[in-house]
Amino acid sequence: MESASEESPGLVPTDLDTTEGADVTNDSSELTADIGEDQEEGSSENVEGEEEELSPDAEALKVELAKIVVHSPAIEKKEEKFDPAEFPDSYKNNLPKELLILQYSDNFRRQYVHLYRDRKPLFLNPVNECGVEKFVCTTINPTQLPYKELYDWDTAAEFVADYLDFETLDPPYELPTRLLSPTTVLKRQKGNCFEYSTLLCSFLLSAGYDAYVVNGYATKETCLADETREICPLLQKKEQKVEEAKKKELKKYTVKPPRDLQSKFELKMEQRKIAAKEAEEAKRRQEEIERQLELEKPPPDPLYGLRIHAWILVLSGKREVAESFFIEPFTGLPYPVDSTNYLGIESVWNNTNYWVNMQDCSNGVQGLSYDLGDCTRWEYMFPGLDKPLLQIPETEDDLMAGLDDEEDEDKEVERHLDMPPTWVEPLKLSLKDFQMRCPLGKKSKLYKRAKLQKFAHYLMPDGLISRLSVYDDRELTDLMLIKEYYDHRQDKLHTKIHNHRTGWISEHFYPGRHRCLKEHQYKASAPAPENERTMIFYNEARVDGLKKRIETPSEMTEHFVNRDDFMFYKHVDFGKRQKKFGPQEGSGSGNTRPINKMVQKFHRNKSKLANEDIAELVFLISEDKIQISYHTEDARIVSSTREYIKPSNWEEKGATLKWESDQLHQTFQVDADIKNKKQVEIYQMMLNLLKCEDVCRERVRESEDEVREILNDRSKEDTESELEIGVYDTDRNEKAKTHRKELERLQLEEKMRKQEMEIDYLAPFLAQIGDPEKVLRNQAFKLKEDCLNDLKQRLIDKANLIQARFEKETQELQKKQAWYQQNQVNMPKENEEDYLNYCSDAMFRIHILEVRLNRHKEMAPTKYMTLEQKLRADPRLAEYF
Amino acid sequence: MSRLYDTVEPSVIDEDMLQRAVEEQGPKEEAGKLAKAEGIDFNDVTNLRLDFKNILKIDNLWEFTNLVKLQLDNNIIEKIEGMELLVNLVWLDLSFNNIEVIEGLGTLTKLQDLTVYNNRISRIENMDNLKDLQVLSIGNNQLTELENLVYLRKFKKLKTLNATGNPFCENVETYKQYVVAYLSHLEFLDYRLIDEQSKVAAKEIYAMPIDEIIHNEEAEERKQKENEIKQKELQIHTKAYVEYLDGSSLFDSMYAEDSDGQRLNEMPGVDELLAGFKEKFLGVCQKIFEYGLSENEKRQAEVNQFWECVEEAKTENKEAGMKIIGTFFEERKRVLAELGTITDNQVIDDKIEAYQSQINELWDKLMSLELQLVDQLEDVIKDFERNMQEMVSTFLENVKAHLTQCRDLENMHHERMMEISIVTLEKVIKNELDDEITEELRMLFVDKDTIIGAVSSSHDLHLLKIDNKEDDIETRIKNWLSAMMEKIRNEEEIKRNRVRVVEINHQIDHFKEEIDNLDFLQGP
Repeated sequence: MESASEESPGLVPTDLDTTEGADVTNDSSELTADIGEDQEEGSSENVEGEEEELSPDAEALKVELAKIVVHSPAIEKKEEKFDPAEFPDSYKNNLPKELLILQYSDNFRRQYVHLYRDRKPLFLNPVNECGVEKFVCTTINPTQLPYKELYDWDTAAEFVADYLDFETLDPPYELPTRLLSPTTVLKRQKGNCFEYSTLLCSFLLSAGYDAYVVNGYATKETCLADETREICPLLQKKEQKVEEAKKKELKKYTVKPPRDLQSKFELKMEQRKIAAKEAEEAKRRQEEIERQLELEKPPPDPLYGLRIHAWILVLSGKREVAESFFIEPFTGLPYPVDSTNYLGIESVWNNTNYWVNMQDCSNGVQGLSYDLGDCTRWEYMFPGLDKPLLQIPETEDDLMAGLDDEEDEDKEVERHLDMPPTWVEPLKLSLKDFQMRCPLGKKSKLYKRAKLQKFAHYLMPDGLISRLSVYDDRELTDLMLIKEYYDHRQDKLHTKIHNHRTGWISEHFYPGRHRCLKEHQYKASAPAPENERTMIFYNEARVDGLKKRIETPSEMTEHFVNRDDFMFYKHVDFGKRQKKFGPQEGSGSGNTRPINKMVQKFHRNKSKLANEDIAELVFLISEDKIQISYHTEDARIVSSTREYIKPSNWEEKGATLKWESDQLHQTFQVDADIKNKKQVEIYQMMLNLLKCEDVCRERVRESEDEVREILNDRSKEDTESELEIGVYDTDRNEKAKTHRKELERLQLEEKMRKQEMEIDYLAPFLAQIGDPEKVLRNQAFKLKEDCLNDLKQRLIDKANLIQARFEKETQELQKKQAWYQQNQVNMPKENEEDYLNYCSDAMFRIHILEVRLNRHKEMAPTKYMTLEQKLRADPRLAEYF
Repeated sequence: MSRLYDTVEPSVIDEDMLQRAVEEQGPKEEAGKLAKAEGIDFNDVTNLRLDFKNILKIDNLWEFTNLVKLQLDNNIIEKIEGMELLVNLVWLDLSFNNIEVIEGLGTLTKLQDLTVYNNRISRIENMDNLKDLQVLSIGNNQLTELENLVYLRKFKKLKTLNATGNPFCENVETYKQYVVAYLSHLEFLDYRLIDEQSKVAAKEIYAMPIDEIIHNEEAEERKQKENEIKQKELQIHTKAYVEYLDGSSLFDSMYAEDSDGQRLNEMPGVDELLAGFKEKFLGVCQKIFEYGLSENEKRQAEVNQFWECVEEAKTENKEAGMKIIGTFFEERKRVLAELGTITDNQVIDDKIEAYQSQINELWDKLMSLELQLVDQLEDVIKDFERNMQEMVSTFLENVKAHLTQCRDLENMHHERMMEISIVTLEKVIKNELDDEITEELRMLFVDKDTIIGAVSSSHDLHLLKIDNKEDDIETRIKNWLSAMMEKIRNEEEIKRNRVRVVEINHQIDHFKEEIDNLDFLQGP
């Protein structure tokens, strides 16, 4: 950075007058020769000067010393070698036009060095993987790939950051000498910041963004992609929408609040006290934060401002980009153009042009203008090629005038100044590689107090795609929280959060599960049923409208939404399990927790009177009581209540329940005037309530069962964890794959059969006469004759064969018969049976052979005829028949 | 199935029969015992079955106002009557009777299921009010005309019809097709599901007449809607006290009873004058009309705002009250639980005393809350009344100003009329206008006094009309305001307060009683 700042004052205003924007390139052709000569002369002189003053002894010593040669152990620069054979010609050679451009850029560089001796060299013509110099602008090849993620800058940047492994520059303060083509980078999945940027820029340009590669200086953290001081983007709290507390509208007739009789003074004093306390607290907190920040500050970097880096600049205008911004290729994150991570800019380029920054970078990149058409700020390389969008009208006039003047002289030069086509092959990326995302499908990153591991889809057998571990300290030893994200799981699990501090695990599911579970929170230490847990459901999909179930060992609370019976809340208190003596009845249902109390709450049902509409229903089972409180009428503040004590014999089935109203029923009615209910109604209500209680109890048991079943399912799923594969994923969907293969196989068979059908019956005979190009007449006749004879022979042979078999069978049968005749008398029954079986079999075979022979006899002449006809029709012989 | 009268003695629905039926069909076992001991009120009964009782006349059912289901089948009823008060009836069974005419069902608007199977009905009629009818069973009757079934198109909810066994079913195929085609809402006919195919087929056959019917029905509906809209608009206008002022009704009314004026208008040269006068007059009327509407909106907004605020205040107060009571309930629970565990009488007494003082405190709190609300509402109501009065008086002033313009116009018109009439009189006297005026008009031109008298009386009449309109508007709006304020005072201030105070006292008494009873129980 400092290098840029030092020379900048002299640079900007005078040397490069706006009018002479085009001059640099123009003059340079004359200048180049001089510079070159100067340099050569200077160097040769120096060498001579040193050698002059040596004495003969010294000369000898020198010779002696020269013998001792110390080879510094060559630190093998792991410069990967590439086999040039792998690459197409454009990688190995330069077209004439490219050569011209190289010359031109070399020229530009020399002038630049001449004019601005203090500035760092420009990154213009690095060699490619084949050792050929290539101009950086032509290394960018905008290629659109058929993946929609690459169409938007954020996902494209994320992809590049994920897909490649980064290499640092060596040394970090010098430009690399080599720039690999994006195709090679994609293949290697490795690259330095320049290669990253070139690749990303190729993607962005193809997607229509106004993107540039920026060469400049950045902080150590940025250059090394060290994010350990950044908060993980997944952890960044979304800005809480501060909902403005709706101010109570002061309407015309709003009642006046009751007079406040508290002392204003006292209040004030109180407030003052509180404010002081708060201020103190805030101050303390602020200090704490500052201390923390101080602690986290990176150690001072000796190379601060010298570290070379390359990143992406996206200018506003295209693709609805409202504001220009940077993209850091290593992380794929956007930064504002005044980010403190970047310390200076030397040059920017894309596939159309190359601009050198002429602005002062002593303040980092703050305040830089990115109006690339303004040639006081940005020195371009190719005039007239791109967008000289200078926004100040006067200077534009000047510029135009200047250009006009030069135009005639420049003409010849300018004609060569358009950019040659890129030498890089179109980028290729297979779907599989694209889906693997990271090299080998895995990548892990460190953030401030967090570690993020990414996995390719389908890579992990349990469907894990990323795992975020959050730590309490910077050394990443004190684990606080693990968040795991899954995809394609058959059990629809998508997020699992294990909080190591509280020991709670919460699992989140997509909709579509059996029982519609949405979220499940439980303690890792107690996953069994009847422990503390919370289950949240997709209530829209459930018949009972259950939204949430919260459990503790002795309680269960359920929340409902949108039920027809208006119930929204149910709470159950369980008692201690009683130790059972005696024989066990059943396995599961026998030993349930006794219920002490059940509470149901209902919303207001507008179709009923408030006094009849139950708001809260409490079954005090342990006390044999039922308590009802009704809803409050609109104009009332108290509600009616009712209390039943269950008759003593309520548990006997089928027994008539005796009714003594005074003892069993108590009520309080808000409206004293209202007529009391009749005893019958009250009695029937009680019967109803008893039924309700039964139903309610049953529901509780069902809920318990459900919890148990869900937990069973969960544990099963956890051990199996099969992944779901989309119907359209032809690669992974085994069923679809086998189906496709089957289809392909069938197709192939069909093809084979067709080929077989078209077997050339003439071929062997043609081969006998040496496959002549044209068949002569007599040859043709002979061919036909041979062919037919051959067939005749074969038919006869076949007939003979069948006959022979027939005879053999008959003979054998006769032999057997004879043998049977002889031994018939003293033959055991089994043998006889065997014999009979054999006879029937043999007869069957003989019969078949007979039929076959007959058919063959029938068919043979027709076969013969067809062949003859075919031969007549054969194009090779046709002319003679 | 009609029985002969002479073989069986017809019976009468009397209290005995009803009582027996109710008891038989009422609750059983323990509940039945209780019910018997207590007696069953007829107006609590929802279901009643009076079948096979040889009832000739439906009578004495007026007490069963909550009846939902009534079965009167298998009797010898000849006339549907005496059911006007059973407005909650949903299910009515009159099958196997001797009914000849459908009648007396006008008030049973909730009826969904009507069965008059096996009667002597010859025509479907008098059911216009049964909008909710879903099931109709009218089989085995004397219906002869298929066209009569078109009447059932009225019942949009009708899903099931049973009409088999009527004379018109002779040709079963035609009957079915006819029904299916004309009653397209129907889903079941004679207890069978109507399939889609036969629906389409039947529709094709009767496409033409059905289209016509549908067209007519639609036209009718549209007309009705238009009428409704108009009615609504008129209501709004009336509420704004400017009804008909957007037309020429006031102007027309001025001349309606003014025969002299009408005659005078036939004078030559009056036509133009009248046209100009009318135009100006109507312009002023239109202004009043528009002003009235806008004022009405303002008033409405004001009233709405007032109610909104009152409701807000009330809910706020209610919430505060409920909160206080809620906390007290918690306290009560705690105290009662505590009392259950203590055995020392002294401690119990102390506790109870403390609790009672808490009850008193609660009363204090609730009452002060209520008083606060009363004060607040009183202020607001006063404000509101003042504002409304102001609004009304400005409205009236402006209307009066406009009407004064009308009067001025009338005065001007009168002067011109005077001039014209005098000129005409002269002409008449000179006999210049022989043919141009009618005999009736000529009668007025007897002499100067007569004509002047006629013109002035016409003028006076016009002014009177305008005055009347003014008075009308003024009295109506004032009445409205006072009625509204009266209502607010009564309902919001007095009645609400009484109810709340009673409520609070009642609750407090209940708490006290409860603790006393508890005390009593614990005492010995």
